[in-house]
Amino acid sequence: MHQTILNHGGYRYFWAAVVLCLGALAAYIWHDPVGVPNGGSWLGYTLGTIGALLILWLLWFGIRKRRYKSNTGSVAGWLSGHVYLGTSLILITLLHCGFQFGWNIHTYAFVLMLVVIFSGFFGVYAYLRYPTLMTQNRQNNTRTSMLQEIAEIDQACLQLADTVDKNIHDAVLQSIQRTKLGGGVWSQLTAKDASDDALSKLKQAVAGDEQASSGSETMVMMVDYLASTTSKKNENLRRLIDLLARKRTLATRVARDVQLQALMEIWLYVHVPLSLGLLAALTAHIISVFFYW
Amino acid sequence: MKWLIRRVLKRGKGAIQYEEEIHFGEILTIGRAANQAIFLPDMRAALEHARVVSVGRGKYRVESLIYAGVRINDHIEQSATVGAGATIEIGSTRITIVDPPKDYEAAVEVGPIDKDELKARAEASKLPTTLAETGLNKRRLSWAFFAVFALLGLLLPMLAHFEPATGEILKGSKTFGQGIWEAGEIGAPHHFFSQDCTLCHGTPFQVVQDDKCIECHKATKAHADQAKFPMYELADARCAWCHRDHNGPDGLVRQDQVLCADCHRNLTQRTNGSSQLADVGDFQMQHPQFMVNLPDWNEQGQYSPRRVSMDNSPLVENSGLKFPHTKHLVADGLNTPDGRRVLECDSCHVPDAGGAIMKPVDFETMCQDCHRLDFDRQFPDRQVPHGRVPEVLYMLDEFYSKRALEGGYDDVTAPVTVRTRRRPGQALSRQEQDEALAWSRQKARQVTESMFLGRACTVCHTVTVDAEADNGPWLIAPVRVAGVWFEKASFTHAKHVTMECADCHAAGPTPQNPTGGSTSSADVLIPDISNCRSCHAGEHPQGNFLSSTCIACHGFHQFDQPLRKVSHHESAAPDREDREPAATGQGD
Repeated sequence: MHQTILNHGGYRYFWAAVVLCLGALAAYIWHDPVGVPNGGSWLGYTLGTIGALLILWLLWFGIRKRRYKSNTGSVAGWLSGHVYLGTSLILITLLHCGFQFGWNIHTYAFVLMLVVIFSGFFGVYAYLRYPTLMTQNRQNNTRTSMLQEIAEIDQACLQLADTVDKNIHDAVLQSIQRTKLGGGVWSQLTAKDASDDALSKLKQAVAGDEQASSGSETMVMMVDYLASTTSKKNENLRRLIDLLARKRTLATRVARDVQLQALMEIWLYVHVPLSLGLLAALTAHIISVFFYW
Repeated sequence: MKWLIRRVLKRGKGAIQYEEEIHFGEILTIGRAANQAIFLPDMRAALEHARVVSVGRGKYRVESLIYAGVRINDHIEQSATVGAGATIEIGSTRITIVDPPKDYEAAVEVGPIDKDELKARAEASKLPTTLAETGLNKRRLSWAFFAVFALLGLLLPMLAHFEPATGEILKGSKTFGQGIWEAGEIGAPHHFFSQDCTLCHGTPFQVVQDDKCIECHKATKAHADQAKFPMYELADARCAWCHRDHNGPDGLVRQDQVLCADCHRNLTQRTNGSSQLADVGDFQMQHPQFMVNLPDWNEQGQYSPRRVSMDNSPLVENSGLKFPHTKHLVADGLNTPDGRRVLECDSCHVPDAGGAIMKPVDFETMCQDCHRLDFDRQFPDRQVPHGRVPEVLYMLDEFYSKRALEGGYDDVTAPVTVRTRRRPGQALSRQEQDEALAWSRQKARQVTESMFLGRACTVCHTVTVDAEADNGPWLIAPVRVAGVWFEKASFTHAKHVTMECADCHAAGPTPQNPTGGSTSSADVLIPDISNCRSCHAGEHPQGNFLSSTCIACHGFHQFDQPLRKVSHHESAAPDREDREPAATGQGD
């Protein structure tokens, strides 16, 4: 069976987390604190200590994964434990506080922890799902080779367009200018179609899919031209359209590649900074509790 | 119009060569076609790409002839009006408009764009394709979040603690200052100083000290005699062991049964028999019969109630009063001077303002309507005062002296002097006066005897005659109902208003028991534990009962001694393992 971070070591960390959660739950049910369940009972302090140590250990993963010479287990094993024990923190902390919440640093720390954990869940999904999608999307190419091919297609298109008509040349020039790959965070994440809208419409029109001239002037002009010109130019125009279609496919694929890579990374921009925010909030939580004991 | 077109040709090793040509015409055309004024052999240029027209005063209009536009001063434009110094770029060629030299009306310089510049521009115009290239930075974000929460969670609250001036400014804020540390809502009684953390939390990293509590709770009593019961739980207990604040508005007072049952379920054994309290663990399962206070008087005649178990038989209340409830609680009513009247419980038993107990029954307002204290048929409106024997005697003496002196008293047994009506100012002889006084004294004594022993006092009171007694001769047995029946427990009628009186007090006949009820005031009409247990049970009831822990009826701080009279330092408190109490003494 394929080894993933979830089934690493025969679900070793899954079972560790289950045992931890069941133990905590049993203690919580059995425990009869003074007043309502809260973080100040002996069980509250115990679960709080377990939770705090877990958080420190989970944070240590950020350092451990960079220690390539370390031989304390494999990074895959650490990550598997990171995922399962991190998940168990939700229950541990809920039982620690006895489900008491308020507008205070203690609940801030809890909320930060939840955001970190749930962003981590997205990370697990991304790491399990997106590498396969990226490989499928690239179709044995690399991003650099696809970009190179686009540049070559641009040159070839200009040459071809010049043999057809100056207006077509103008349209191709415009298309090259409009082709934008990548962009800001939102553009990368949404994979906005990078190719010229006119080209897709042109392709559809040539294939007879769309007769209505609702598109741009470029498209109308090119289709009109296609219907009236000589066979040599006609042939060149068809080749041009084929090239532009290929470029569009490539551009879409590059955009998708950028998108998948961005999705693989974006959660870390939440997970890591908020976990450091959590470290500060947790420190404040612990110190404040004993400062005003 | 005469244009100067100066071509800048770059030769090897940085050498530059100029070629100049003249163009005549209003329009300077630019493109890849051979007929263009500025011919650009570049596939990125259209055949007719752009044109420049002078608009006078050193200004030129540059227009693109294709949709793709032309780069004018680093911006792709369709057209623009520019002056000398402006650049027009197409492909890798840069055309700069310059001030015309003498003899020319306009001039441009045409040259290749530097290769490094082209490369840099291509790099610069490339959009980011990874998140890292967009300027997002995990490290910076991490520091930012760390700083924000360290500031909010640690620095500001500590500043507020150590710098009172800052604390005053931040006081009341739930986010900035100590407010963010508040772990839970403070108990309701402490709300009014909830923003002054240091009132309780004095020294950092030290648990709240009892002294801080006692500053306000001075009157709080101890739980038991700490000298006699120097137990660890009593001597060393911190207030906060039980009273844990910041657990919501109702969280301050412990309601759990184990608080008491821990010690009291086997108190006799725990105290080696020093405590005379019965073992109690649970109201339903382990609780002794109620002890009730019954009226009694000591040898000195002082009120000194007896506390007896309600299991005692017979259970007799010696209130000094004769009162059969059944004679008063008659379903079809009683004959009264005002006609037929049905008495209910609340005709006499009225809750006091607090709702806990009943107001004392008042003779004048509740009994006297029927039980009149009149004493002379000729003067039915005159009554003696209730409850004040000397005044009664004095009043009767005075009343009949006046009747005798005034005369006209209609009584065949009275002497003529007393019976004869006299005119105003008519004097009595000395003999008549003596006769009248003798009669009045005898009459008063007779009426007194009739009142005390016959028709009035003895109806409700036990009257004895003792001429030798200090306050004799008429002695009325002292009247006293318990008032507080259960000394060690708190009960309030206000919480039981949904019940009927008869549910707990078997005073009169009921529909279920028409012949029942109390015929004697010696009956104790206070319910015992079985009555309470018909509704109440311990913390974990067996069956459908109301869960009532010890604190529902009993207080904790109820020993008559200040809370900290014997501190654990002063007492001979044994350590945690050795909980042997003192051999003597009894606890409450």
